[in-house]
Amino acid sequence: MTRTREIGRITFSLADAFRLGYDNVKRRFNRVVFSMAAITLGIAFFSNISLMDAFFRVYAQTEGGSLQVESYQYWLVLVSLAVCVISITNSMLIAVYERYREIGTMKCLGALDQHILKLFLVESIILSLLGGSLGFGIGLVASLISCGFTIGFHFILKVSLTAPLTLLGETILLSITLSTVATMYPAYRAARLNPVEALRYEV
Amino acid sequence: MRSDHIIETEDLARYFELGGEVIRALDGVNLKIRRGEYLSIVGPSGSGKTTIFNMIGGLDRPTRGSVIIDGVNISQLDAYELAWLRCRKIGYIFQTFNLIYTLTALENVALPTIFAGVSRDEGAKKAETILRSVGLGDRLNHRPLELSAGQQQRVAIARAMANDPAIILADEPTGNLDLHTGIEVIKLLRELNNTRGVTLIAATHDIKMIGASDRTVWIRDGKIEKIEEGGVNLKE
Repeated sequence: MTRTREIGRITFSLADAFRLGYDNVKRRFNRVVFSMAAITLGIAFFSNISLMDAFFRVYAQTEGGSLQVESYQYWLVLVSLAVCVISITNSMLIAVYERYREIGTMKCLGALDQHILKLFLVESIILSLLGGSLGFGIGLVASLISCGFTIGFHFILKVSLTAPLTLLGETILLSITLSTVATMYPAYRAARLNPVEALRYEV
Repeated sequence: MRSDHIIETEDLARYFELGGEVIRALDGVNLKIRRGEYLSIVGPSGSGKTTIFNMIGGLDRPTRGSVIIDGVNISQLDAYELAWLRCRKIGYIFQTFNLIYTLTALENVALPTIFAGVSRDEGAKKAETILRSVGLGDRLNHRPLELSAGQQQRVAIARAMANDPAIILADEPTGNLDLHTGIEVIKLLRELNNTRGVTLIAATHDIKMIGASDRTVWIRDGKIEKIEEGGVNLKE
């Protein structure tokens, strides 16, 4: 058959994905809290240790202090980040199962596999931004308190903002990376769902 | 030249393998569906109604035979083209409504317009117009769970109409509704069929739906048993 196909465009822009993802995060908040808690805790621990390290360095340079973060503490951070990734993957997988019908329906309405993938990844980025900033805040407060007691609060006030600000950027990047890695497999599962099976699925 | 038939199936068959046994869900169905008609597909459960739907809707691929929509053999389409078909040409209505529970009525109806590339404002405006036309003008910002079953199905119908499809596939649209709301939904579908000229294909057990339709196809064991012109007369 040589009829020209009047096939047009199918779209799902990043802005649309963010809008839909944001709605989802907002309206399913009680479910989302668990994945966010995982990021928040992991990142809080990471930023706490990194900030303490930064403060100790400045202290060593300016006043010749000999405090430092022990290497086992870094190992603990690494383990906690690994646990964080695993628990995000776990809760995202559950979220995909819960949304089987929704995914099937969206595919009936014209969504492509890549659109579903995009939606789930964008949701995870939103979560990582929220969880990451919150985690950094908690880590910052914790490190200020612990350094304040060990070195002295007068010293903390003198530390320049460059180190903490750089660390904030790094932390957010780390948080997005971890969350994206953790969501990759669940999002792929969601995207590859066969709409016929997805619609038949009873939750 | 446009053919009088919007959908044609030729020797359409779909076999499934279940526990080493081949199940012939559809086994050689030849069906020509006229442009603008209201067709009911009737048959006992497991007769292949839903399978026909999935084939026509481009959700599943046939084992044998073909489905031709508007002159295009859809088994030759790739994933992108199928998605476009589902988005622009076909509207789906389900027994279980399948609304997205986190979105309001308006957002649900506007969702297909996003995939069709319609701007956000335009999509919302369109969704509002359609929702008003199905009598839900005062329920725009309600979530599905704040609506009755009949209202939810009307939102689903509005969503199916959002991209002005040529075909509406309704799988047991009154299956989860009581008598009264079921009749309202049938009236609404019939009205859309009359006023917008959309081809309506409904799988159903519901005798009221059969009564409203132009033609009825009876299916049994994956084959067409008979085709009746006009709805079945309920009084007899």
